[in-house]
Amino acid sequence: MDDKNSDRALLATAVRDALPLFVPAIPFALVLGLAIVGSGINPWLAWTTSPIVYGGAAQLTLISLLGEGASVAAAVMAALVVNARHLMYSAALAPTFQQQPRWFQWFGPYLLIDQTFALGVLRGDDDPRTFRLYYITAGLTFWALWQLTTLLALFLGPLVPASWGLDFAVPILFLGLLVMMIDQWPKAAVALLAAAVTWLCADLPNRSGLLVGALCGVAAGITLEKLRE
Amino acid sequence: MTTFLAILATGLGTYFSRGSFILVLANRRIPPNIMLALQYVAPAVLGALITTMLVGPTGDTEIGLAELTALATAGVVAWRFRNAIYTLLAGMAMFWLAGALQ
Repeated sequence: MDDKNSDRALLATAVRDALPLFVPAIPFALVLGLAIVGSGINPWLAWTTSPIVYGGAAQLTLISLLGEGASVAAAVMAALVVNARHLMYSAALAPTFQQQPRWFQWFGPYLLIDQTFALGVLRGDDDPRTFRLYYITAGLTFWALWQLTTLLALFLGPLVPASWGLDFAVPILFLGLLVMMIDQWPKAAVALLAAAVTWLCADLPNRSGLLVGALCGVAAGITLEKLRE
Repeated sequence: MTTFLAILATGLGTYFSRGSFILVLANRRIPPNIMLALQYVAPAVLGALITTMLVGPTGDTEIGLAELTALATAGVVAWRFRNAIYTLLAGMAMFWLAGALQ
């Protein structure tokens, strides 16, 4: 009986921790809805990115690039690298997951987004069962909210007249995201260089200049880092 | 069909990047050089991505004064407040305002 009560308390804590962290995802959901409508892709098909990919930036990248006429390869690669930080999350949580049953090692990564990572690392020292319950509850809370808000955005998107130019919300949001991740000047330099090279390579087929620009940016970042040492 | 395959590939790739260390590389550390490169991947990709959205396939751009002021406003607000909602609201408000004044 006591166990049941403490479990219930744990689940309530997980949901309570998750809800405020979901708020920053809401503009992403809305902008995704607009991008889906603007892309010309069947909205229901585009929405399946929510359960299949389950990552706002990757979904937005994939949908907008396909809408821009990028090749499938360029769009998929860009969508994958935009979330390169997942590798770091996975590495950081791996020790905690070693004490978990195999099924959870397979299921857990599906729910691994910025928010579950932030909550998960704080709970790394919990006993395995407590960690698992907490992670799944918080993770599924985010998951359900994301599915719902992106579905809602699908209906809200077409209601906005095209003359409002809401498509422009996509680059605005990405720019905001970029600025917020800049904590030292080399990152700003890297972003600017990647942007410049992408512009210079704009006429490459299937918008593949994007990949050239991104690669040059990363190479420049590594070079800058070596020079600073 | 192609679109669905693209979604599926992105889904699988995303899943395995999240699962990489948890599933198979549990006792490995990310080599310092890779770690270094990783922190530049997101800024580089976002810089390239934003440009792709603003520039057409021939290098032409339809970016006018309204777009530029909106992007600048969004950049400043994002820097100052570190908040996606404020950034979006300020950027779009400036976009409409500057568009209406033109």
